[in-house]
Amino acid sequence: MIKDSAQDLAKAAWDERASRLRTVLFRSGPLIALLLLIAVLAMLSPHFLNADNLLTVARQTAFVAILAVGQTFVIIRGGIDLSVAATAALSACIVAVLMTEPVLFLGIPLGPMNPVLAIILGLMVGALAGTFNGFIIARFGIPDFIATLGAMTLFRGLALLVTGGLPVPTFRIGVGAGGGLPEFLLWAGSGHILGIPFLLIAVLVVAITGGLILRFTAFGRSIYAVGGNREAARASGINVGRTIILIYAFSGLMAAIGGILLMGRLSSANALMGEGEELRSIASTVIGGTNLFGGEGGVFGTMIGAAILGVLGNGLNLLGVSPFWQRVAQGAVIILVVVLDQWRRNRLRR
Amino acid sequence: MAAPLLELTAINKQFPGVRALADVDFTLLPGEVHALLGENGAGKSTLVKIISGIYQPDSGTFRVRGAAISELSPVKAQQLGIALVHQELSLVPALSVAENIFLGNLPRTAASIDWPRANREAKQAMAELGVKIDPTRELRSLSVAEQQLVEIAKTLQRQPDILLLDEPTSALSDAERSRLFEVIRALRDRGVGIIYISHHLSEIAMIADRVTVLRDGRNVGTIPIAEASQETIVRMMVGRALSDQFPKPAVTRGAPALVVEGLTVDGRLRDISFTLHQGEILGVFGLMGAGQEHLARALFGLERAVAGRIFVNGEAASSNTYSPSRAIRAGLGLIARDRRQSLVPMLTVGPNISLPWLAHRQPWHKLELEREKATTLQFIKELDIDPPLPHREAVYFSGGNQQKIVLARWMSTGSRILICDEPTRGIDVGAKAEVFALLGRLAERGTAILMISSEPKELVGMADRTLIMRNGTITGELSRQELSHEALLRAAS
Repeated sequence: MIKDSAQDLAKAAWDERASRLRTVLFRSGPLIALLLLIAVLAMLSPHFLNADNLLTVARQTAFVAILAVGQTFVIIRGGIDLSVAATAALSACIVAVLMTEPVLFLGIPLGPMNPVLAIILGLMVGALAGTFNGFIIARFGIPDFIATLGAMTLFRGLALLVTGGLPVPTFRIGVGAGGGLPEFLLWAGSGHILGIPFLLIAVLVVAITGGLILRFTAFGRSIYAVGGNREAARASGINVGRTIILIYAFSGLMAAIGGILLMGRLSSANALMGEGEELRSIASTVIGGTNLFGGEGGVFGTMIGAAILGVLGNGLNLLGVSPFWQRVAQGAVIILVVVLDQWRRNRLRR
Repeated sequence: MAAPLLELTAINKQFPGVRALADVDFTLLPGEVHALLGENGAGKSTLVKIISGIYQPDSGTFRVRGAAISELSPVKAQQLGIALVHQELSLVPALSVAENIFLGNLPRTAASIDWPRANREAKQAMAELGVKIDPTRELRSLSVAEQQLVEIAKTLQRQPDILLLDEPTSALSDAERSRLFEVIRALRDRGVGIIYISHHLSEIAMIADRVTVLRDGRNVGTIPIAEASQETIVRMMVGRALSDQFPKPAVTRGAPALVVEGLTVDGRLRDISFTLHQGEILGVFGLMGAGQEHLARALFGLERAVAGRIFVNGEAASSNTYSPSRAIRAGLGLIARDRRQSLVPMLTVGPNISLPWLAHRQPWHKLELEREKATTLQFIKELDIDPPLPHREAVYFSGGNQQKIVLARWMSTGSRILICDEPTRGIDVGAKAEVFALLGRLAERGTAILMISSEPKELVGMADRTLIMRNGTITGELSRQELSHEALLRAAS
């Protein structure tokens, strides 16, 4: 290479700043979209900017947002996790049953169990379910889509078996042993700290933890490396299989957290809870700018994406738009945002 | 003089932050092979993409056979008889050779595809290039060289008047290359205009009629081949004479660093043994497909050896669980022949350099971001990585600078044994000299270097000894005194 003169270097540095600014503007696309959406809805509906309304949106979106944190990890790796909502239901159902019903396990009476212990077991079930996905994908080289599609049905089936197809807690006539969910769990689903819903705080804690893992740990860096170029990651000594398993374990754990909190909000668990929400978690992630082909993205964008979907649904409700049209609108937004994102990427890549 | 097939005047092309082409004039005559040369980033690819309709110029005129063309698209270019053989293959791995050659254009009978004819014609098209390949074979089962020939056959089948060849020989053996040159000459004699891009300057004298050199997006000159000595071309390309392309320092050979005994990979490598010493540059030469790539990969734990042992500094490194992570821990580094196997394109310079630091870390290990930043800045300066922008993604750097990032990776990881598989493949002359200078400096500091190359000139210039590979095994060894271009080719074929 020819040596650059100082002038060239200065010019290069300036170009770099300009291009970074452009990058930042492009990357802020989802945030700008969210702000525009909020502005429009605020103009159209006097009730929209009401604090109570916004906090309701936050509570309604919390479940998807928490699933989407795990989904972001999965998608940065270039995978997709269709089983998150089913994992959430399975964990929640197991926790609910353990807390409220007398369970015989290998002849040992286990329940009703200490609620904290039940929740810990539920979280482990989620992580284990994810580990199962990751193992199938990493060990047998099955496409993520297929593996987690199968797991989705499998976990729903297990949840049905655990609950017998009934909502838990069950107040069955004549059995009588089933109690309700513990107070603190109901509070987690609907309580506040200093006026802020606990669910919103939980989302923030989970999202920030996810963001820190991505940015500051070897695990996080490995996710980007494996998602960006699996061969290169392997040739740099990164344990690709272990990374994939950990990613899915994390996603499963997030699903379990989401499921248990959702159970608190609904005051009960059932095997079919959250059905279809896996798609919304994927949509949130992609709307937030994470590349479906892997290697790029982050939790911050995903939270914006989840907020866009939440605000849109709420706004359309307030405006009295029929639920049928709401679906149409949400689908259109997902497609539009991804098209714009693709266009942006092509621009950046020249 | 015949009317030009292609006449480009004052072509400009601007990309965000880069002026890729500045007032470039270029003509292509019927019946000539016109070599287009320049370092990476000089604008060759951009020019080729403009001619083939992939990019639109910002300004300038573009004439084909005298007629001004605006809004050229790839489809329109094809209709005008312009065809491009890509450097990166544009074939479909899961389809057969015949299907690839006639993609979208398979000969038909009234009712369906005329398979006998397609296969017959595909076989013939390959035979014209001097290769016998079963046309029903799936493309992915072919070697890279064979795939490259299929790509060429596919392009020729469209009978273009204007043929653009972008590094067509990068994977070919000498025999295949000679055969390709014969085909090119035959096309030229039929009046086809050919634009030929190559990094192998030695090829230019063999095939070109005229030479155009680009530098920093400008045309520095178009000269007839008679005036284009290698020194002239290099001077035009880099803007200065390259005093020494192969700065090989004399280093006293140290203790054995890497000892390989009987290394065997099923179907790929047979019973390979050698010793690599500290401070030594040990060359490996072989024709295409002699197993060099597998040797590099097996030494680094990317391919499983069924037999054999690897010792690093006297300690056994290989075992049943030998892996890249273990190789890295033992002090090995791999410069792969395809940089796409080394770099993570959308990560910036720093994370690409520091990737192997994570090799034996626990997942929750905290990234050493401060050290990463300092190391990145240090290497950008030390290796003259250009542009010196730590936050730019690896994909936006030229081949030579990407290679420097890979070198910085292993230097920062503390690798004392470097396996370099075609370390200068696809990078320009100036950057090649820099890479060699760097390898020389590393050897001086005691790093042991295994340098696999298919360029005899590079090995003659750099290697202390050279192993000869054939059919997956080592068949001989040449000392520095015995080493010459002819000796290498004789030994390997």
